[in-house]
Amino acid sequence: MSKVKNWQLGREMDYPYDESRPKRQWAIVFDLNKCIACQTCTLACKTTWTSGKGQEYMLWNNVETKPYGGFPLAWDLRILEKLGRQEWDKKGIYAGKTIFEAAEPNERVLHYAPVDEDWMYPNVGEDDCANNQEAEGYTRSLPHDRWFFYLPRTCAHCTYPACLAACPRKAIYKREEDGIVLIDQSRCKGYGECVRACPYKKSMYNPHTRTSEKCVGCYPAVEQGIQPQCVVNCIGKIRVMGFINPPWKAREDNPVDYLVHKKGLALPYYPQLGLEPNIYYIPPIHAPTDYLRQMFGPAVEGTVERYRALQKDPVAQGLMVLMGSTDRIMHRFSVDKGTARGFDEAGAELVNVPVTEPIVERAAFDTALNSVRNNTP
Amino acid sequence: MSDARRPSTPQLPPAVDQGRRRLLQQLAGAGTLLASANALGAPLRFLKPTQVDNPLAAYPSRDWERAYRDIFKSDSNFVFLCAPNDTHNCLLRAHVRNGVVTRIAPTFGYGKATDLYGNRASPRWDPRICQKGLALVRRIYGDRRVKSPMVRRGFKAWADAGFPRGANGKPDAKYFQRGKDRWLRVSWEEAYDLSARALDNIARTYSGAEGTTRLHAQGYDKAMVEATEGAGTETIKLRGGMAFLGATRIFGLYRFANMMSLADHHIRKVPPEKAHGARGWDSYSWHTDLPPGHPMVTGAQTNDFDLFTVENAKLALIWGMNWITTKMPDSHWLTEARLKGTRVVAITVEYSATASKSDDVLVIKPGTDPALALSLAEVIIRQRLFDEKWVARNTDLPVLIRMDTLQPLRPADVDAAYKAPGLKSITFMTPGQKPPPVAEQAGQFAAASLKDRFEPFMVWDAARKAAVTVTRDDFGPAFDALGVKPDLRGRGSVKLADGAKVEVRTVFDLTEQYLKDNMTPAHAEKITGAPAAAVEALARQIAANPEKTLFAMGMGPNQFFNADLKDRAVFLVAALTRNVGFAGGNVGSYAGNYRAAIFGGMPAYVLEDPFNLQLDPAGKPSVRKTFHYESAHYYNYGDRPLRVADRLFTGQGHMPTPTKAMWLNNSNSIIGNVKWHYDVVNNTLPGLEFIAYADWWWTGSCEYADIVFGCDSWAEFKHPDMTASCTNPFVQMFPVSPLKRVYDTRSDMEILAGVADALSRVYGDKRFGDTFAFVAQDKVESYLQRIIDGSPGLKGYKVEELHQKAKEGIPALVNNRSYPRISSFEQAKGERPWHTRTGRLEFYRPEIEFMDSGENLVVYREPIDSTHREPNVLVAKSHPAMRPVSPESFGLKRSDLSSESRQVRNVVLTVEELMKSKHPLKALNFTHVYHTPKYRHGAHTTPVDTDFTGVLFGPFGDVYRHDKRMPSVTEGYVDLNPLDARAMGVDDGDYVYVDADPSDRPFRGFRPGTEEYKVARLMLRVRFYPGTPRGVARTWHNMYGASFGSVKGHEGRDDGLARSPETNYQAMFRYGSHQSATRAWLRPTLMTETLIHKDMYGQGVTEGFAADIHCPVGAPRESFVKFTRAESGGMGGDGLWRPAALGLRPTYENANMKQYLAGAFARVRR
Repeated sequence: MSKVKNWQLGREMDYPYDESRPKRQWAIVFDLNKCIACQTCTLACKTTWTSGKGQEYMLWNNVETKPYGGFPLAWDLRILEKLGRQEWDKKGIYAGKTIFEAAEPNERVLHYAPVDEDWMYPNVGEDDCANNQEAEGYTRSLPHDRWFFYLPRTCAHCTYPACLAACPRKAIYKREEDGIVLIDQSRCKGYGECVRACPYKKSMYNPHTRTSEKCVGCYPAVEQGIQPQCVVNCIGKIRVMGFINPPWKAREDNPVDYLVHKKGLALPYYPQLGLEPNIYYIPPIHAPTDYLRQMFGPAVEGTVERYRALQKDPVAQGLMVLMGSTDRIMHRFSVDKGTARGFDEAGAELVNVPVTEPIVERAAFDTALNSVRNNTP
Repeated sequence: MSDARRPSTPQLPPAVDQGRRRLLQQLAGAGTLLASANALGAPLRFLKPTQVDNPLAAYPSRDWERAYRDIFKSDSNFVFLCAPNDTHNCLLRAHVRNGVVTRIAPTFGYGKATDLYGNRASPRWDPRICQKGLALVRRIYGDRRVKSPMVRRGFKAWADAGFPRGANGKPDAKYFQRGKDRWLRVSWEEAYDLSARALDNIARTYSGAEGTTRLHAQGYDKAMVEATEGAGTETIKLRGGMAFLGATRIFGLYRFANMMSLADHHIRKVPPEKAHGARGWDSYSWHTDLPPGHPMVTGAQTNDFDLFTVENAKLALIWGMNWITTKMPDSHWLTEARLKGTRVVAITVEYSATASKSDDVLVIKPGTDPALALSLAEVIIRQRLFDEKWVARNTDLPVLIRMDTLQPLRPADVDAAYKAPGLKSITFMTPGQKPPPVAEQAGQFAAASLKDRFEPFMVWDAARKAAVTVTRDDFGPAFDALGVKPDLRGRGSVKLADGAKVEVRTVFDLTEQYLKDNMTPAHAEKITGAPAAAVEALARQIAANPEKTLFAMGMGPNQFFNADLKDRAVFLVAALTRNVGFAGGNVGSYAGNYRAAIFGGMPAYVLEDPFNLQLDPAGKPSVRKTFHYESAHYYNYGDRPLRVADRLFTGQGHMPTPTKAMWLNNSNSIIGNVKWHYDVVNNTLPGLEFIAYADWWWTGSCEYADIVFGCDSWAEFKHPDMTASCTNPFVQMFPVSPLKRVYDTRSDMEILAGVADALSRVYGDKRFGDTFAFVAQDKVESYLQRIIDGSPGLKGYKVEELHQKAKEGIPALVNNRSYPRISSFEQAKGERPWHTRTGRLEFYRPEIEFMDSGENLVVYREPIDSTHREPNVLVAKSHPAMRPVSPESFGLKRSDLSSESRQVRNVVLTVEELMKSKHPLKALNFTHVYHTPKYRHGAHTTPVDTDFTGVLFGPFGDVYRHDKRMPSVTEGYVDLNPLDARAMGVDDGDYVYVDADPSDRPFRGFRPGTEEYKVARLMLRVRFYPGTPRGVARTWHNMYGASFGSVKGHEGRDDGLARSPETNYQAMFRYGSHQSATRAWLRPTLMTETLIHKDMYGQGVTEGFAADIHCPVGAPRESFVKFTRAESGGMGGDGLWRPAALGLRPTYENANMKQYLAGAFARVRR
């Protein structure tokens, strides 16, 4: 075991390999206040990557409703049960054990193996709220006394992947150029160790090819400067994919760094598991803090206020309406005089949008074309 | 996905699992060995080329990565338009590999859309797509494609035998075993020929005196038979499904209907001016998408706003609208507005997806929305929070009503010599005079015969303490110029011209009395369940945000019998608070796609004179309207008008004709997913002699047709078409596609032309075929250009340019007055009056039907079936302006609560009496209001049965169908509050039967034990759904119901799939459908002869029936049901459904799940 630095825990932790951060790290930020569970991301992924034999049940990207939903069934409850109650200290440093630290003797990772039936019902729990709406009533303001929220999930292309740690053939690796974690399909023997080890259950077994498969981060697109399919197709415009820096190298004009490091709006999920996952969520402001803390760590406290403060933050607003407005990877953004702009790696402008669409009024009669222009045609 | 394709399970290999500990131990050792060996030096790499030291850092052999790059590649791509029955319409890019579409993507072209003046939409509009569009890749090649023209065997036999008929004209029932018959594949020519001969035969059979005699003999209502005026063509009904979605190919069915006057000309030997075309069925009102109260208040079909204007509001009420699931591509505008500071309030009947995106959530009882709105008005008036000046200028609230007649006081009433001045706000057209072309209509027009309907009215001048005259021209700023200070509460006694004295009161005053007496927040709490404090708080918020409160109303409250009262009440709140016609303050109604008026040039296409066709593409067509529109709700109602106790409640202008033939395209809503579906199948369809359906997917409607024309999918279009939307600012072309047709299909236009050509052969008259002459010439663009040239928002566009842009994935902006389009914009600016009698927003309805119904004022009626209380009662204390006609005066007993009588039953109860009353079925242990809203996984029924989307539809989706009872990879379910279900002894995941009113559902005259009843009685799974209040149950609307064929499949196939062995039709229920519990309802106030409203196209103001504007809308969300447990939810019917058994479901939570819900697995040390 090596000692590696996990900034999401605020401490070092045990990991089977030495720390080695890629040159760039693929990351996605999701604003859960905008996710509508339309499953367009799910279908974009599925129609692109997993429509083949043996992949029928496979959803590399899925969207589930929390708290009753999960694909596979109750995946997060299962690993939390295994790990038991854990604590963070007052300074926000993780005082509990990660799944690497809590591994049983002769195991690398604390894990559980879902059974066949757990992969049924990929949308169980859809729109089921916590707390019964027994009668009619009124909920004024936040958080809501009844609640559910949608959680879209891809592989997190973790800095410390459990799948990679567990693979007995070392057939799983992390690409140095973008941090994408891949299962080498030519070397995988389908032992399924990654399926068991990934606490997010984002490695899946293909009984037809007899290999395990997982989200490839859409590297064929990313290599061309294009965002992954699940991002490009996101009509909720909740996602932005970019390259995240660790906090000590964060750049304020980098969209991902801005939301994660500068604003503290976007948080990793289940950071306590110790994988330093690279998908980040802006937590839903209507859900109760206790539940959110369990999922996003102690930093979740205050995100509601920080989200509410966006009402007076034109820069953040600009970035958040820029999300989804281009299919290209934005390396830099700027917001000025009500216009938000995104730029590519070379600094060329990819897109610009108004923070609020202008109201345009046309002449009531176009004399040149001899036509009225009205709103009640 | 067919079950045959089921591979081995995804379970991990067990051998590895058993031996894994040993293996791991070995590997752990090997790892150390390798690491140390490597430390010795590089040479080992040559022996073991795939040796990896630290896979976080480097990996040696990455050539395999090209495999995924290969998958991602495409040879070419093209753009097509996806336009199911939603309001979005998305240009999508199809990626092609080896000639096959492999995946679909957004075009990112919306941010490039421009108008004629250089204005541009921003890239915030991108991407536009959804999961349903992406799933089309599984549908274009799907096994339920209609692959060629298909004819039902019995129908062909009837035609081949020469259409034999009995004495009353009816064919032998042996030819009409629809739903149970075999199907034959025929050639296109044969399909066209059969259709033409059938249409001719039916038109002949029911023409003239003989035809009339036959219709009488078949038992049709005499008023309906009269309505044919002896023309058999009038018994032929055509309907372009959601016509707005296809300017040429779907509206083409109405052009065909108009063309059918040629047939009447030949059959009855009548001259063109006396020839009748076929009938065209309505679209928007048929779907119960029309908010029927909008024309009552504003005169226009629907008041609304482009949804993206929500970011201009400070307060957004999302009312009965599940925006998040039904307006998916426009949801980001709402969530972005919220993050920028718009307060979002959901008014809903459950804790919905939209509730989860809102700041405040108000959950009320289904169908009580009018009461909630009236109560908001009560608070606003009582606390004097309204804008008195705006109300005085822009509404009829100051108008004086005579308490003797309950009619508005007219200046002529008090002054016999009074002569109404000419009006500037409307031009009256003498007979034969025509208004200018639609695109040039700056002002309003009406027939001179309607002149007295727009006569002046009177208000009470506070200064003069007398009634003073106000004309229709005195609206907005012009009203100020009168110098009248109207007393909204003005009451007085007025001396009439004949010397009599009469008491007068204002509409405001009468309304206030009703509200005070019946609709205080305390009353509303009882009726709606909304806490009184919530009503007060909400009313204050609205009043605090004039011009900044949006009322985004949805399909939910619109699908109740009292929908028009909901509209009138909501407008009252909006008008009181100055929230009509502003970018951030307005009322909108969102259900279905409409706003066909954007295609104002449509008459040049639909109504082109079939006797005198313009065959030069550049020439100007002449117009001759030879056909009638009709509401399809009468067909749905058993092909009857509303006649109760032998009194006719359907106005002559609305009167349907007997339906003997119908032809539909682009829709599954008129048979397959029709409300009261099994009544239509078992009681109405047997009266029809020809049913043609054009579709590219075998739906429930195809199941019961005689001919199914297999048409091209959107991805295969060979002719361009055009559509637009009520919720976004784009006009969109369906581009022509380079994709080769997958099957033997034709475009809808070719099918229309094909049947028209066949009719030419039948009658020896080439004008039939010439009606669609541009199709064969490949000049369909010319029809589109004619429409564009006549449309106010489009004139100036060239169809070729729009088409070229669309091929690149770029739509164009409609040149409305504003971007975003905002209804009542010109009115709020004071430029134009509303299209009403007074020119103002109207809250008083003096027409006789409203008076008789006790609805001249905006009042509250209980839902007609969806209530635990007495249905459809008027709720009021005695009020001097409410004089409804009692049931006794119709010859009905007051106690007669049968669903038929209920429609015309005007019984008044006070709130207290209402609370004590009961739905009559409560005595039979019926327990739940049952509603059927729409959801995110389908646009209507598209594409819910596709494997990739189906498995995500609800909690029971399982692509492998482990449980062989499942009808498909997913199945319909009913959401019940867990406490209700437990009280009934039903577990999560169990199957139950759902029964509605046994007097008429699932269909009139059902007999237990028959096949018909088995197919029709709804059985489905129960989901414990904590979001719905007790007493309210829900099933999503977007499902395919059971057919005779699907039940045969389910019971006969080894795999148990509910798939017809004959047609491949795939149901998502084993038995019945969500429409088993619904029925058709007809509402008297929607069938008036005299309601004044705007016409469909242009600025004409007219009266009475108008399809999609003033006609019945049904009440498809109403039913009251009981549940009977049928089967256990566990695998194969054994025990508890697994997720519940594991303790992971609501009310089944195990100890750890409870901890998890509480967030107890991670704490912070304090």
